[in-house]
Amino acid sequence: MNRKTKWLYIAAIFVVAISSTAFYIYKEYNRKNSDTAELEADYTVVAPTIIKEFETNDSLAGKKYTDKIILAEGIVKDILKDDRGFYSVMLGDNTSMSSVKCSMDSIYNYGALKLQKGTYVTVKGVCAGFNADELLGSDVILVRCVIAKNNK
Amino acid sequence: MKRFNMVLVVILLSSASFGQKYFTKNGKINFDATSPNSPEKVEAINRTVTCVVDTKTGNIQFAALMKGFEFEKALMQEHFNENYVESDKFPKAEFKGLIDANDAVNYSKDGTYAVKVKGKLTIHGETRDVEANGKMVVQNGKVNAFADFTIALSDYKIAIPGLIADKVSKTAKISVACQLELFNG
Repeated sequence: MNRKTKWLYIAAIFVVAISSTAFYIYKEYNRKNSDTAELEADYTVVAPTIIKEFETNDSLAGKKYTDKIILAEGIVKDILKDDRGFYSVMLGDNTSMSSVKCSMDSIYNYGALKLQKGTYVTVKGVCAGFNADELLGSDVILVRCVIAKNNK
Repeated sequence: MKRFNMVLVVILLSSASFGQKYFTKNGKINFDATSPNSPEKVEAINRTVTCVVDTKTGNIQFAALMKGFEFEKALMQEHFNENYVESDKFPKAEFKGLIDANDAVNYSKDGTYAVKVKGKLTIHGETRDVEANGKMVVQNGKVNAFADFTIALSDYKIAIPGLIADKVSKTAKISVACQLELFNG
């Protein structure tokens, strides 16, 4: 290998390394949140059970569930719609003020349209934590939710 | 019977005007810390805000989980939670305050009422006095509450690294919008 070829190889490796790094940074910088529908659930839970876990020990349950993908099953207590048409589905026991509040992912928002109060559904979402409130009832919050199963 | 009905009407009207609570578990907070010189938006929305307004006292409070803020870009959201507001350590933002001149708001009559809200805002474990302009919109028995705060991130000990100082503003605009319903609990 002559000197010129050697320098060409070094330059090529350098260009490839720089381009790869730039591409990685660009991709990472513009990365969107993962599609919840495509993610494997870390935990499958029944709504009153996860609520009870948080009510019993907020800190312990928070460490277990926060940021994890949750598949939550339960009775639809309410379907809330905000002024921009975004839905949240409240799961849980009708005799309790507390719920699992599932804030729908914008691309799967339409899934909530097919739901009815009193039906049993399974919702997949990312746990954002527990919002304790003595007056309103304490809720486990799931965001970026998608309806996984509508048992009707 | 007529007298009884009159008394009932008076009681109902009274309770419509005094001592009622309105609430939502579906309120919104927009967080915008975009630097004026940056082409990139540094903003997030939280759609899981709880809010309670006591029409008699003018007490107003809202709470939001920090991990309920959703950014368009995942990396921005991760940095927000891990480096800036430290959501694992300080999971909740809270405001507790009063509607100034609450008497001027007629909660039983449709209309738009400009209000001032004063109180204490807690973010990142730091509590500061804040004052905000807002409005209460009463319509068909429902109350919509809106308020805009501008906070200095340094007041809440949220440090922005020099590397991204040109993208993230030193202040953040917080806009609250809550469609409240009568609390029957």
